[in-house]
Amino acid sequence: MYDLSMVLVYGIILLLASGMASVLIRKKAAQLASSSILLALIAVFSMFLLLTGQNATIAGMIAEYPFSLLFVFLFSITLLLVNLLSYKYSSDYISFSLLFSFAAAGAFLVALSASLVTIILGIELMSLPTAFMIMINGKKFIEAAVKLFILAALSIAIFAFALALVFPYDPSLALTALTPNAGIAGGTIVLLALLLFIAALSFDASLFPFNLWVPDVYEGAPANITAMLAGVNKKVAFVALFEVLFIVLLPLSAVFSLVFQVLAVVTMFFGNIVALVQTNVKRLFAYSAISQAGYIAIGFSAASLYGIEASIYQIFAHAFMIIGTFAIILWLESKNIKTIDDYAGLGSRNRIAAFSLTIFMLSMIGIPPLMGFVGKFLLFTSAIDKGLLLLAVIAIFNSFLSIYYYAKVILSMYSKREKSVIELDWAVLSVAVFCLIAIIALGIYPQPLINLSQLAGASLSSLPV
Amino acid sequence: MVPFIGILLALLSFGVVATMFSSEKTSKTLASVFSLLALVVVVAAFFYMAQTGSMNYTENYSYYIMQPSISLGFQFSPISFVLVLMASIVSFVTLLSGNVENESRKISSILILLFELAAIGLFTSGNLFLLFIFWDVGVISLFFMIYILGSSNRRRAAVKFLIYELFASLALLFAIMLVYFYTPLHSFDIQYIIANAGLISLPVQALIFSSFFIAFLINMPVFPVHLWLPDAHTEASTQGSMLLSGILTKFGGYGMILTFFMMPIAAHFEVPIAILAGFSAIYAVFVLMTQHDIKRIIAYSTIVEMGIILVAIASFNQFGISGAAYGMLAHGLTIAMLFLAAGSIGHMFAERDIRNLRGVVRNALSTSYTFLAGVFATTGVPLTAAFIADVLIFIGAIKTFSIYGAIPLAALLLLGAFLYYVVNKSILSTSEYSSNPRFIGRSQKAGYAILLSSIFIFGVLPFLLLNFFSNI
Repeated sequence: MYDLSMVLVYGIILLLASGMASVLIRKKAAQLASSSILLALIAVFSMFLLLTGQNATIAGMIAEYPFSLLFVFLFSITLLLVNLLSYKYSSDYISFSLLFSFAAAGAFLVALSASLVTIILGIELMSLPTAFMIMINGKKFIEAAVKLFILAALSIAIFAFALALVFPYDPSLALTALTPNAGIAGGTIVLLALLLFIAALSFDASLFPFNLWVPDVYEGAPANITAMLAGVNKKVAFVALFEVLFIVLLPLSAVFSLVFQVLAVVTMFFGNIVALVQTNVKRLFAYSAISQAGYIAIGFSAASLYGIEASIYQIFAHAFMIIGTFAIILWLESKNIKTIDDYAGLGSRNRIAAFSLTIFMLSMIGIPPLMGFVGKFLLFTSAIDKGLLLLAVIAIFNSFLSIYYYAKVILSMYSKREKSVIELDWAVLSVAVFCLIAIIALGIYPQPLINLSQLAGASLSSLPV
Repeated sequence: MVPFIGILLALLSFGVVATMFSSEKTSKTLASVFSLLALVVVVAAFFYMAQTGSMNYTENYSYYIMQPSISLGFQFSPISFVLVLMASIVSFVTLLSGNVENESRKISSILILLFELAAIGLFTSGNLFLLFIFWDVGVISLFFMIYILGSSNRRRAAVKFLIYELFASLALLFAIMLVYFYTPLHSFDIQYIIANAGLISLPVQALIFSSFFIAFLINMPVFPVHLWLPDAHTEASTQGSMLLSGILTKFGGYGMILTFFMMPIAAHFEVPIAILAGFSAIYAVFVLMTQHDIKRIIAYSTIVEMGIILVAIASFNQFGISGAAYGMLAHGLTIAMLFLAAGSIGHMFAERDIRNLRGVVRNALSTSYTFLAGVFATTGVPLTAAFIADVLIFIGAIKTFSIYGAIPLAALLLLGAFLYYVVNKSILSTSEYSSNPRFIGRSQKAGYAILLSSIFIFGVLPFLLLNFFSNI
């Protein structure tokens, strides 16, 4: 039996190398091909390792176990989709590609981390290039880029501070459970560290009140980067939260459960209520993405294996829904179709785009048998399972609230008949159809993904079911 | 054992996909063929079960989700079979002849088949989770049906419909999740819940029951949550109205019956529910009398009938429940026929106001007499299916609520009186008559024939189905 543990690392290094080589070679198509093939290989290989039960630690920094491999799989697929979109719509694909490969390496690093240091490195490696990816598109994007840059720096600083606070308890900073009482000042320092960790990661995870930048940046950035922010960066933050909370700070699960109950409720309400009055579709989906982060937080507040499993499932679901949505928004934006009123008649102008956007939104509302429904169902039941009945009621009420603004877009699309047909291009079409198939197929037959999430959840944490 | 339900669902799913890929011209024929095949399977299932003498029969497939365990379980009970039979007849007729307006055939054919799939799935689901899924699929497909095809104000009506129905579905979801966590073995299985829900503590049962009750009350609909119905029916196309009244309102009725079986606490609420339902029926009759639009009148008659059916369900005895099930069969067929006739009248005369419609019988003979027969069938004239249903319903109601159970009969009599007045004034009057610029095709007449004959078959031969109700 060969030792395959290093292959994934080599794959990520090759991805970085291809990004750097692209600057020298400057061939767009070749770069798209090489990075896509590498990402696809990473996806296939991580799934292979996951199914063969790989469990290895490399140099105390990188750990390959079901949880990390599952998320490497997700990130490689979502990054592949973003890459496809950016090839067509990025004004400088070569520079994009260099930054993209760094960001991708950062995302993989967070998923694979075996130590808190790797997490902070990964987040830094991912979020700073993302800010530059926005900036290279032209002057009018600088505002969004600077906002993202400052907040990324802030979140990293807070994370570093929290790291310093837990250092006395465990100088190795490895991803192992802390023993709160061994420390200098009893439990209070750990408690502070817990809150700081949550705050730092809430910036990227877009949990209230750390999400006030989200609408501006999501709207201000080109939609392919927005797809990446919502579909990859946000999910990376959740993965980091999983690792920090459910491994390192597991003894404090009662505390963070409480914190997340509050965060989930305020985030859902904030996202859904503000979204009600939006007219710009991109901004509307920024708020919708916030409310979806609130739903994902329910799994954290359940603080059980079942909750972890539900959150993982919903992270997958939302990644596909939001990337598909922003793909179509990107394409429409290039045709200068931006507000809900502009969307009128899309149903007759391009059937596939309107149909897939409708399915994505129905899935976000939580209409069966789509993926978003299964995710929400698992999340709500995980809350009820832990006796958080009120939280489940609030979440259901929020789903009801969200119908209004999603329905506004759907209704606008099918409201009048327009003769002028607009054609989808291959990149957007392939991304949208891929997401569509994933959402319908995994909604009708969710068991494989649920099995994987269970496996991942069980490998992540030693919580009882 | 032939897996009838599996065949039905597979056939209809295949039909939906096939219709999606068909051309605009062939779509209607293709969809009708699939719907007819489904009807044939249902009839075959009937003969099979008539031979074995029992309608209780289950089918289990693999899991949908393993943890929490949700199996793909389906079942026939006498109640659900009756509703499946009704749904497949009504859907078939809707596809075959409902397209009076000759609008977008393909999209409506797809949506109707999808709705038929949802309806049959819902009536046969063996667990609450599947019931919820099919419920939402049905609601969404009908929402698009109203939104895309219909008259000028349809969009507002469609959104109103959606908001009411999705609120109902979220209440349903909440109830289902509560049931799951409070039953001892954590199960969605309907039979298991019926057997074990008594073990749930009373306050929780009350919460679950009220959550279910709100969901199904909105769907049935009953005063005070009936407001979506008149608008949705009036603005929808003929096909949309037929499905809305004929099948969708039965989702609520079926769910209500299940709720009464599942939650023992329901026994405490029989009287208030019956009062609410009876009031709703009588209230709806008086609102109906102030209407002029012929489709709106029929829409309000749905509220009357569903109120009476809820009285029967609340009486919760052998007669009441079988009466409610049979009543839903009769009402589904009758109301679909009335909407088909009303849609045809609206199409032919470009007029639906009873104050302006005169002497319809002169130029539209078959439509007028079908409408008349529909009015008879609604009021429960002997030999129509509604007669059998009404007899059972009121025996059941009087058994539980003593003589007060007969009060809703007043609503039925008033409804009948007013409908005769409408027919007499605008359809049968021959002193003056409206001229009609358009005519209806052969397919509408075929639809009349199918619905009319089934109404009489179930009226003359009630024992065909009622024999199976002896042990529910």
